[in-house]
Amino acid sequence: MSEKELSKYGEGVGFERIRRITGYLVGTIDRFNNAKRAEVNDRVKHGV
Amino acid sequence: MIVTVKKRDGREMPFNIEKISAAIEKAFRASGELDEQIKASQDQLNLLGNDDVLSSTALQVAASAVGLLEAEGKVKPEIEEIQDAVEKALTEGGYADTAKSYILYRAERTRIREVNTRLMHTLRDITFSSAKESDLKRENANIDGDTAMGTMLKYGSESAKHFYTMMMLKPEHSRAHSEGDIHIHDLDFYSLTMTCCQIDLKKLFKGGFNTGHGHLREPKDIRSYAALAAIAIQSNQNDQHGGQSIPNFDYAMADGVRITYRKAYLSNMVKALILLTGKTEEEIQPVVKKLHAEMAEMGMVATLVPNEKFVEAEARELSKTFDTEIVMKAQKFAEKMAYEETDKTTFQAMEAFVHNLNSMHSRAGAQTPFSSINYGMCTEPEARMAMRNLLLTTDEGLGGGETAIFPIQIFRVKEGISLNPGDPNYDLFKLACKVSAKRLFPNFSFQDAPYNLQYYKPGHPETEISYMGCRTRVIGNNYDPTREISFGRGNLSFTSINLPRIAIKMKSVDLFFKELDRMLQLVSDQLMERFAVQSRRKVKNFPFLMGQGVWIDSEKLGWEDTVGEVIKHGTLSIGFIGLAETLVALTGKHHGESEASQELGLKIIGHMREFCDKESKRLGLNFSLLATPAEGLSGRFVRMDKKKFGIIPGVTDRDYYTNSFHVPVYYKISAFKKLSLEAPYHALTNAGHISYVELDGDPTQNLDAFEKIVHHMAKVGIGYGSINHPVDRDPVCGFVGVIGDCCPRCGRSEGHAISEAKIEELRKLYPGMPAFKGIR
Repeated sequence: MSEKELSKYGEGVGFERIRRITGYLVGTIDRFNNAKRAEVNDRVKHGV
Repeated sequence: MIVTVKKRDGREMPFNIEKISAAIEKAFRASGELDEQIKASQDQLNLLGNDDVLSSTALQVAASAVGLLEAEGKVKPEIEEIQDAVEKALTEGGYADTAKSYILYRAERTRIREVNTRLMHTLRDITFSSAKESDLKRENANIDGDTAMGTMLKYGSESAKHFYTMMMLKPEHSRAHSEGDIHIHDLDFYSLTMTCCQIDLKKLFKGGFNTGHGHLREPKDIRSYAALAAIAIQSNQNDQHGGQSIPNFDYAMADGVRITYRKAYLSNMVKALILLTGKTEEEIQPVVKKLHAEMAEMGMVATLVPNEKFVEAEARELSKTFDTEIVMKAQKFAEKMAYEETDKTTFQAMEAFVHNLNSMHSRAGAQTPFSSINYGMCTEPEARMAMRNLLLTTDEGLGGGETAIFPIQIFRVKEGISLNPGDPNYDLFKLACKVSAKRLFPNFSFQDAPYNLQYYKPGHPETEISYMGCRTRVIGNNYDPTREISFGRGNLSFTSINLPRIAIKMKSVDLFFKELDRMLQLVSDQLMERFAVQSRRKVKNFPFLMGQGVWIDSEKLGWEDTVGEVIKHGTLSIGFIGLAETLVALTGKHHGESEASQELGLKIIGHMREFCDKESKRLGLNFSLLATPAEGLSGRFVRMDKKKFGIIPGVTDRDYYTNSFHVPVYYKISAFKKLSLEAPYHALTNAGHISYVELDGDPTQNLDAFEKIVHHMAKVGIGYGSINHPVDRDPVCGFVGVIGDCCPRCGRSEGHAISEAKIEELRKLYPGMPAFKGIR
């Protein structure tokens, strides 16, 4: 591997973010439909 | 003179008067206006076919239509202009009835054309846009819309929906669905399947089963138990449009562990005796094997927790051949080794089970089976070993440390079994909390909630409460009250009501209830229509579900029998979405904000439940009320209502309606208060429910708080619940946890590169790091 290629290790690779969609999980958020995505963005944390 | 016509798509085609007269002929046939003339001409002259009057009249009308067009100076008329002229020519010719049927014919053609155009648009969208751009392709997040098979599935699904809407649904149901008053779920499977089933694994495994592609023998150790469990889920998935669940995972796997231990004990006993006596395997193996077989016939077998009866009898019998001291030593060795081997094998079996369910294909490869497993109540050591290893492998994650999406795991919580210190499965409950705090699963189901407890009979696992991972719950049985169990049953179909719309339209509470009643009755009728279609299906249409006796009582049916009677054990569910928005539309406040709204909310949902109970009684079936999961539906109703009614603050001002009876996700409230407010709705929604709360940060750092929340769920009467927290993963270094802007392990930020040297350095610290290759 050349120096140039080495420096691209991971370039363009996003983080995977898994959230519960309803009772179940799905892959990562990019699989969510637009409405569900909006809902996930709006979710606030609940204090204990 | 007219030589060409302009078609709808703009193309010019040669003019052909016969095309016009053919359409007019159809109209004459439909109106019957020429029938008498045709009959008269037949009587007069049988030689001429009756078509002659018809076609000559039609041609005459066509000619006068052309005359009209020419008089207007049209040289290249458009289709619509020609049709207008035909209508006029028919009316002027004195054929009023035919003119009417011609207009109807035109309208029908327009409708079909519009539907076809819409279908073609949909298919084009599926073909040429990626899932990233196309919301349609992400309607169900478990289907990968970008793959060939995912696309093929979508073609089928969208075409089927069009077909059923046009041809099978009653017009009033079809209209209510397309206008967004109601949503008929899984419409693409309308005439084909039922939703889901709780698969009794113990019953299925007995004597082996057939997948439709080959017979599988009764499994003989924990590895094959786990493998066959996955295959059973996969096979059944193809016979249904919803999910598959195992209600007795702990009890079924215990059988596999038992057999595995017995075998491991035998082989280790033989090994020990070989070593301690110096004899050969040929001399020892047959003796021990025969002895174990004889003892088994008398009900004495080696068990994970050694039982005295077996240990003593074995020692006595073996001492007849071998030195007593050697036998005692060999027993200790065999017990220890067999335990360790069984534990290891069980871990591998559970690991493979989870891997299988995340990689095996269903529905032509477009998705993995939608699988759930329920467990937690069985306290036998063998079941506990299976559950512990399942939780441990879930904690580890998949091959690259990823969080497993399937199976949805549901841990049953019950006082005296698992909830409190000193309970036999309390250790497993603690472990379940720890794993869930990292992996989001297991979810928790609550056996002691009164509406679950009422069905429970100790010693009868079929009466324990089981959930489909999505939330569906089937236990009560109005059709056959002697069978109030979960095994072999499931939902048949469900349809959801757009509650906020009723509130927006009706404004007052009184009128709201009136319109709600109308809608409930409409949905009930629609569910019954679909039930009639489903009832006509035959066993052969469900080779696994019915053919292998998975569905309750289906083993009593023949291949050509209809399933109508046995599916009466299933449920017909009425669902809803957006209670919060409904309450805002009616009172200005949702149930998180106001006690009066909570009271009204419970009145509305209670009313819906009463309706379901009444329909069950009236029709002798199982109508139940569902807190709809609404993944695809979350945006559909509100999009339509926004168009119809505009933006109403707190009602239509977001891109989604709030899930079922949930307190809105954007509303600040404590976890405990939210659960206390939502719990009473669990008691009412007998077709299924779930509540979840969102925890901040990394709950693995605060397991006490996690456990406290689960205890609170049990206390306030939640039936099915879970705790949400961010689960992020960096595929480059394999870190799993909470990732903000940059990865806490390798330090890279989203999309950025790191050096290979850094990766190598990290690999020394974290040997389990996945091998991430090249530029992705």
